[in-house]
Amino acid sequence: MASTVETEHHAPAPAEPVRDGIWRRPLKNTGLVGFLTTVDHKKIGIGYAVGALFFLILGGIEALIIRAQLMYPEQEVISARTYNQLFTMHGTTMIFLAVMPLSAAFFNYIMPLQIGARDVAFPRMNALGLWCFLLGGVILNLSWFFPGGAPAIGWFAYAPLTDRQYSPEMGTDFWIMGLQILGIASLVGAFNFITTIVNMRAPGMSMMRLPLFTWMTLITSFLIILAFPAITIALIELMFDRHFGTYFFNVEGGGKPILWQHLFWIFGHPEVYILILPAMGIISEILPVFSRKPLFGYPLIVFSGAVIGFLGFAVWSHHMFTTGLGVVATTAFAFLTMLIAIPTGVKIFNWIGTMWGGRIRFTTPMLFSVGFIWMFMMGGFTGIMHSSPPVDAQQQDTYFVVAHFHYVLIGGSIFALFAGMYYWFPKVTGRLMDDFVGKIVFYLMFIGFNLAFFPMHILGMTGMPRRTHTYKSEMGWDQSNFWSTIGAFILGIGILIFVIQAIHAYYKGKKSPKDPWDSRTLEWDTESPPKEYNFPYTPVIHARDQVWEDKYGVEAKRMEKIAPGEHGIHMPDQSWWPLITSIGLFIACLGMVFHKQPVPMTSEAVFGLEIVIAGLLLTFYGIAAWALEGPGGFHLHPDPAEYADAMPAPEDDHGHH
Amino acid sequence: MSSHAATTDDPHAALAPLKKTSTGVENKKLAMWAFLASDCMFFGTLISTHLIYRKVYPTVVEPTEIFDIELTAFSSFILLMSSLLMALSVSAAHKGNIAGMRRFLLGTIFFGLIFLSGQVYEFNHFVRESGLTLSSSVFGSTFYVLTGTHGVHVALGVLWLSCWTACTLPKDWAWYTLKGRRFLWLPFRVVFAPMTGRYKHENALDVEVAGLYWHFVDVVWIVIFTAVYLVEYLPVFGF
Amino acid sequence: MRPRIRTPFLVAAGIAGALLLLLAGCSLNIEGQQSALDPKGPIAKNQYDIFMLILYVTLFIFVTVGGALAWVLWKFRQRKGDDPNFIPPQSHGHPMLEMGLVIASAALLVIIAIPTFGGIILKKVVPDELLENAVEINATGFQWWWAFEYPDYGFYTANEIVFPAGRAIKINLRSDDVIHSFWLPKLAGKVDLIPGQENFIWILADEPGYFWGQCAEFCGDSHAYMLFRAIALPEDEWEQWLEDQQRDTVKDDGSFEPLLAREDWGYPEDKILKGAEVFRQACAGCHSVNPRQQTNGPNLAHFGSRTSVAAGWYENEYDLLYKWIREPENVKPGNFMYRGFLDRDGRTVIMPGLKDYDLSDEEVHAVTAYLYTLR
Repeated sequence: MASTVETEHHAPAPAEPVRDGIWRRPLKNTGLVGFLTTVDHKKIGIGYAVGALFFLILGGIEALIIRAQLMYPEQEVISARTYNQLFTMHGTTMIFLAVMPLSAAFFNYIMPLQIGARDVAFPRMNALGLWCFLLGGVILNLSWFFPGGAPAIGWFAYAPLTDRQYSPEMGTDFWIMGLQILGIASLVGAFNFITTIVNMRAPGMSMMRLPLFTWMTLITSFLIILAFPAITIALIELMFDRHFGTYFFNVEGGGKPILWQHLFWIFGHPEVYILILPAMGIISEILPVFSRKPLFGYPLIVFSGAVIGFLGFAVWSHHMFTTGLGVVATTAFAFLTMLIAIPTGVKIFNWIGTMWGGRIRFTTPMLFSVGFIWMFMMGGFTGIMHSSPPVDAQQQDTYFVVAHFHYVLIGGSIFALFAGMYYWFPKVTGRLMDDFVGKIVFYLMFIGFNLAFFPMHILGMTGMPRRTHTYKSEMGWDQSNFWSTIGAFILGIGILIFVIQAIHAYYKGKKSPKDPWDSRTLEWDTESPPKEYNFPYTPVIHARDQVWEDKYGVEAKRMEKIAPGEHGIHMPDQSWWPLITSIGLFIACLGMVFHKQPVPMTSEAVFGLEIVIAGLLLTFYGIAAWALEGPGGFHLHPDPAEYADAMPAPEDDHGHH
Repeated sequence: MSSHAATTDDPHAALAPLKKTSTGVENKKLAMWAFLASDCMFFGTLISTHLIYRKVYPTVVEPTEIFDIELTAFSSFILLMSSLLMALSVSAAHKGNIAGMRRFLLGTIFFGLIFLSGQVYEFNHFVRESGLTLSSSVFGSTFYVLTGTHGVHVALGVLWLSCWTACTLPKDWAWYTLKGRRFLWLPFRVVFAPMTGRYKHENALDVEVAGLYWHFVDVVWIVIFTAVYLVEYLPVFGF
Repeated sequence: MRPRIRTPFLVAAGIAGALLLLLAGCSLNIEGQQSALDPKGPIAKNQYDIFMLILYVTLFIFVTVGGALAWVLWKFRQRKGDDPNFIPPQSHGHPMLEMGLVIASAALLVIIAIPTFGGIILKKVVPDELLENAVEINATGFQWWWAFEYPDYGFYTANEIVFPAGRAIKINLRSDDVIHSFWLPKLAGKVDLIPGQENFIWILADEPGYFWGQCAEFCGDSHAYMLFRAIALPEDEWEQWLEDQQRDTVKDDGSFEPLLAREDWGYPEDKILKGAEVFRQACAGCHSVNPRQQTNGPNLAHFGSRTSVAAGWYENEYDLLYKWIREPENVKPGNFMYRGFLDRDGRTVIMPGLKDYDLSDEEVHAVTAYLYTLR
C-alpha cells in the first residue's frame, strides 16, 4: 500500500492534519459530512447499492407504465412521445444506473474483503466513481424537467435520429452528457479494481486462489476499460454533431450513420458481458456454499469467463445483421457469436457439476441462484437463435429480442444480484433477512418474470416490433400482451416486498453471526458488519476456499494470521475533493447541455461555453487540491483480543501488507 | 484507539514498502498502464473514424494541398525529442538529482509547448487560409477532433509536468524571485505557488508515472502523424 | 424461526412451466397478420426452417441439461431429518468430462452453422433462375410512411407495394431521413433502410396474397404507426394494375379536377370540385397526384384504389380517412402532415402543415370525398 509512507512524510506527526487549501481535512466519519467525504470502500459500496436500488425502482416504474400502455390494443394511457421517452429512459436507467452500479456495489464492498485487502488501491478515486455515478443519474433524469422532456431515441440512440434535425430538444443532450459522466464513473472504478485485484491480494492469495467473484470483477473491469472508450468517443462525435456542426453521422456532409452503430456496439456488446459476468461470479460463490462442495472445474470457469470477455469484442456486428453487411462479414460474425455458446455452456455444466453429489440447502440466495441458471439458460437458447442471421432477420427489433435480453438481464443479472443481496446482506448489515419472506419474494419474482417475458417470445415470432407505442387488435397480440402486463406487475410487487423486507431487516432483523451460511471465502472471516479496517490481522492464505478449510480442512491448509505491527493499521484520510471534482464535471456536463440551447423562461440561447469552462476549472481545481492534499492517513489499533491467535508482526513491518 | 502517523527519518527505508504489492509493480504505475490501455482504445476509435472518412465525399480540400508537412514533421520531431528529455528527467528523479530533474522537466515542457504552438498555428492557418473547419467537410470534422484530442492530451501533460516542476521549487519560490511583477505572475502564483517545496524523493514514482503518460502521448502522435499526414503523401493509399 | 416452505423449487418451476405452456398454447396466433411462423415465400420459409432447427436443438439441450439440473436439485437436496453437518466429498472437477462437454457443444453448433450459411447466401443473392424476370422496386422510408417507385415503369406509389406472385422482387432500400427497417414477416426477414447507404432485399410470394408489413427500426414519434401492405397479384391482374397506375387521374390544367367520369364520382359534383380546390390549396404542396412525380408527402395519384390509409394504420374507409385528415395529430403523433416541415435546425418551419390551415369540417369532408375519385 503505497499510501502509508507518503503520509508519514507529508505530515510530520501532526495531532491535527495539515490545513490545505480552503477546507480542513474532514475527520468525522459519521453523519452527512462523514458520508460525503468517505473513502471507505464499504460505505461507497453501500452508496452504490442504495443509488442502484433507487434507480432500479425508478426504471421499474417506467417499465410498468410501458406495460400498462401495452396491456390492451390501441390504448392511450400515455402519448406516443411519452412512451418513446419511457422506453429510452427505462433501458438507459436499468443498464447504466441499476445493473452496472449494483454490480459495482458488490465489487466495492465484497471484492476487497475477498482478497484480504484493507481497502481498494485508490480510496479517493473510488469515491469519485460513486459521485460521478450518482450525478450522472441526476443529469439523465433532469431531462424530464426541461422543455422537450426526456430523450426519445432508444437506449442505443441510432444516428441520425439523434441529429439536431430529428431530435431538436435537449433530452438527447442530457442523455449524451449523462452517459459521458457515467462512463467516467465506470472507468475510474475499473482502473481501481484492476490495480486492487492485481496488486493488493493478501499473502498467499495467488491468482488461481481468487474467489470466482473477484475473478469476474477483474475481467469485467478489463472489459470496461477497453469498451467504454468506444462509446465515449462516439458520444463526443455526436456532441460535436449536435453542437458544433460536424458531420460524423450526418449524411449531408459525407458522414455515415452506420458508423454510430459500429462504435456503439463495439462498446455495447462487451457491455452485455459487463452486465452478466459479475452475476456469474456471484452465482459461482453461492452455489458451492449451499451445496457444501467446492466449485466444479474452477480453472475452466475462470478461463471461460476470460474467453467470453475476449470474444465479446469480436462479435459486435451481430447487432447489425439487418443493416446490409456483406456475406463474409455476416458469416464471420455469426460463427464467432455461436462460439460464445461454448464458454457459456461450460459455466452451466460446471454449476450443475458443483451441485452434483452435494448437499443442497434451498435458502433464498440458493433459490435465486438456481432460478438464475434456468432463466439464463433460456436466454442463452434464444441467443443461439439470434446468432444465426437468417433467424435474426425475423427476430431483430421484435419482442423476441426483448424477451431474450430480459431473460439474460433480469433472469440473469437481476436474479443473480438479488441472490447476492440476500447472500451478503448479513455481512453488510450484521442482520439476517427472513428466509420465509425471501422465498415469497423469489416465487413472486420468478413467476411474475416468466409470465411477463415468456409471452414476448410469441409476440416477437408473430411479428410485433419492439418500441411500438401501441398495436392493432387484428395482429393477434392481445392475449400475450395482457398476460405480460400482469406478469410485470407481479414482478414489481416481488421487488417492492424485497425493498420493504431489506429496510425492515436493516433495523429489526436478527443479529447475524460472522458466518451465517457456513461459507467458504475470506469475507466471512471478518465481523458482520466488518470493522472499518476489515481485518484486524493480515491473513495468510493457503487454500482457495480458505474459510471452509479453516473449519473443515486439514491443518496444513489453515489460514495464518499476522498481527498488526506497533504502528497499528494504516487507514486513509477522508476527503472533500472527490465530491468537488465530480461536481465540477457535473457543472461542465450541464453547461454542455445548455450550450446554445433555449433555456426555460427566455426561449433564447443564452449560454455559450461559459458554464462548461467554469465546470472544468472547478474540476481541475479539485484534482489539483486532491493531489496536494495527498492520501493522508492515520493508524488504528484494533483490540488485541481481535487478533489473539495471530503471529506477531515481523520487525521491519509497517503494520500492513 | 487511533493515532496519526509518526515520522520515519530515512526516506530510502520508506520507499521499501512501496514495492510490497502482490506483483512488485507499484499501484500508481499499474493504474497508469491500465489507463493507457484504455487511452489506446480512445485514440484507436478516433483514428479509425478518421481513416474511414478520409476519402469520403465531399472532399472540399485536398489534404496534401493544405498540409504543411515540413512544419508538422518538425513539431513531431520536437515531440519525440521531448520524450528523450522526459526519460532523462525520470532517470534524474530516481537518482535523487532534483536540480537535474527540474532542468529536464522544463525542457520537456518547453518542447511540448513548441509542439502545441505548432498545432495552434496549423489550426489557425487551416481555418483562415484553406477554409478547413469543423463543419466544412467530414474530413475537417475528423481531422480537428482527432488532432485536437491529442493536443488536449499534450496540454494536460504539460500542465501535469509543470505541477511537478513547481513542486521541486523551494517553498514560496515565486514570491522572492518575481517581486514587482506579481500581476503578470498572478495565475502562476495561484496555481503553482501552493505546490512549491512539496517534492520528496518518493515522488520519483509520480514523475515516472507522468513520464509513462508523456511517452504514450508521443507514441500516439507517431501513429496520428502517419495515419493523418504521411498517408496522404503515399501514392499507394492515395486512391 | 418461521416454518420453511417445503415445496421444493422444482415443483414451483414445474407449475410455472406448465402454466406458461398453457398460456403459450392459448395466445400463440400462428396465422397472425405479421407472423413469421406462417411463411408464404421461400426466404421466410428458409428462415422459419432454420429457426425450427435451432428450436429443436435447443429443446434437446434444454431436456438433457435442464433434466440433469432438475435431477441434481431433486436428488441432492437436503431432506428433512438429514444430518445438517454432513460434508459431501469435496471433488474439484473432472477435466475429461468437462472437455467432452465442450466438444459436444461445439458439435451441436456445427449443426446450426451449416444451414445458417445457406440462409445468409439465400437472403443476399437472388438465384440465377429467378433473376431474369425479376421486378425491381425502389423503396424509400420517410418519417412515417413509405414511398415505392417502379423504376422500370416510371411511376410512384406509397404505403402499398404491389407485385406479381411467383416472381422475384428486388427491392432497393433507401432512406431520406432516419433509419427505418423494411419487414414483411411472411415473405422475408427485415433489412434496414439507412440514409446514405443503398440496401437491398428480395422477396417472393409463392401464391397471390395480401400481407402486412411494418417498420421495425425505431424511427421517432410515430414509429408504431408506420406500417405498409404488400399485395401479391396473379400475373394478369398485375399487368392490369401496372397499366392503371401509369394513367393520370387529374386534369393537367392545374385545377386538380379528377379525370374519372363524373357519373362514377359517387359524390355530388360541387363537393368533389370543392375538394379539388381544398386539395390544391392545402395538400398539393406536399402530395403529388402525378404518378410520375415524388414530392415531400406520399404520392396520391391512385389513392382511391388503395386498401389502407395513414401508412397502413387504417383500412381505407371514408370515416377513417376523414378522421385521419380531420385530426391527424391524434392518429399519428408528431406527423408532418399536421406539423409541417422543419429546417435542419429543427425549429424553423419551411413548409406549413394542416395545423396552419384550419380546415372546416365541410372542407375536410370535401377533400375526403375527392380523394376517392383518384383512381
